[in-house]
Amino acid sequence: MTALLDAIDEASALDDLHRLGCTDGLPVVIPTPARVDAMVLASGLDGDLVLGTMGPAGGVASVRLVATAAVMAGCTPEHIAVVVAAVRAVADERFDLAEMQATTHCTAPLIIVNGPARQACGGISGGYGALGPGLRANASIGRALRLAMINIGGGRTGSSDMALLGHPGKFAYCFGEDEENSPFTPLHVHLGHDPIDSAVTVVGAGAPQSVMVLTDADDPGSADRILDALSSALTSIGSNNAILGGGTAIVLINPGHAETLAGAGHDRNSIAEQITARAVNDAQTMAKAFRGLDPNTDTTYPCLSDPADLIVAVAGGAGVYSAVMDTWVLGPHRNAPVTVGIELDQSCEIPWADQG
Amino acid sequence: MRDGIAFARRDIPAIALVTSEFIEQAEFTARSAGMPSAPRIELPHPVAGTGTEAMAQVAKNLMGDLSAHFAGATS
Repeated sequence: MTALLDAIDEASALDDLHRLGCTDGLPVVIPTPARVDAMVLASGLDGDLVLGTMGPAGGVASVRLVATAAVMAGCTPEHIAVVVAAVRAVADERFDLAEMQATTHCTAPLIIVNGPARQACGGISGGYGALGPGLRANASIGRALRLAMINIGGGRTGSSDMALLGHPGKFAYCFGEDEENSPFTPLHVHLGHDPIDSAVTVVGAGAPQSVMVLTDADDPGSADRILDALSSALTSIGSNNAILGGGTAIVLINPGHAETLAGAGHDRNSIAEQITARAVNDAQTMAKAFRGLDPNTDTTYPCLSDPADLIVAVAGGAGVYSAVMDTWVLGPHRNAPVTVGIELDQSCEIPWADQG
Repeated sequence: MRDGIAFARRDIPAIALVTSEFIEQAEFTARSAGMPSAPRIELPHPVAGTGTEAMAQVAKNLMGDLSAHFAGATS
């Protein structure tokens, strides 16, 4: 991505980028020098500023290269501050990016955005279909990080990215927490940031597993039903957290379920404590997964080591479906989530439509 | 491959055992880490899940190469 390519027109340039393995397989916006220059300008940062290195290639993530990925992904200038923060997060050594890109697990970086950036950076949605299509900011920001992981980090399918199946979130995996419809403290505030600040929390996550929970306003057992269902999805003996034990896991609670939990007196901490306590397998269950394991013991197998390892976020439409994501769990730091502030005061407003 | 390189950087003789499907990734990783000639031995793919007998045979076949590599590394 450091070389400047020549092409007779944009269609030829797109063919070249596909042929060189610089895309995610979908068409990209051609990163002409003018477009990249404009995106760097919009970031308010020096193009040569290094945000970190990205494995497994050990590529140096300069603002210019990250801006190039953002242009290719279809980002607008409003999105770049979030993309910059997300790259900083995955370049943090605790994220285990080099190992994560190389693993056979399907893991992909999930970007959770909190704070005013959700509105200021192009409208990052946490509502209906927050992880699905049709949401430009969610799709473009998530995709920009993936293109940076391909072109700066060197993660290429089947040769350095060895995911056996991958999952659709490897194209883009980004949403904003629905703070306005959440009864809980926003995730970034829970993690120590100021409410007026914005932040991304990035975590390597498997595909979302839908969790259906039927609740009733007059059913005093509704909150427990939600906690049991979320826990039971994590204890599935196909889940990495269940098989390997420990690491991070994510629960995405829809605003209706969140309201039910809050009505029963729960907050982020108690939800994490309850799920950690319930997401435990017995030996009889684990013997189905492991050859030679004695099912007739009292040994228990917790999916999480610590409630602090569970990320709880509120998103989606209100209804019967929430979701959980397992994580790869392996890696030197066991795929720790990383939270990085979004620097909104650096960004510049620039004319964008004229960039040809 | 990364573990083998980490050991090598600490002057601890190490040889990465890489199944054939992962040889390209291993080469990329070694190049990216600045140690393109980091020692590795190619194994058939897959090894995991092939059963105790097959894995024992892979280990037996490996011993000659492994000894030769370590002899080279320490001579």
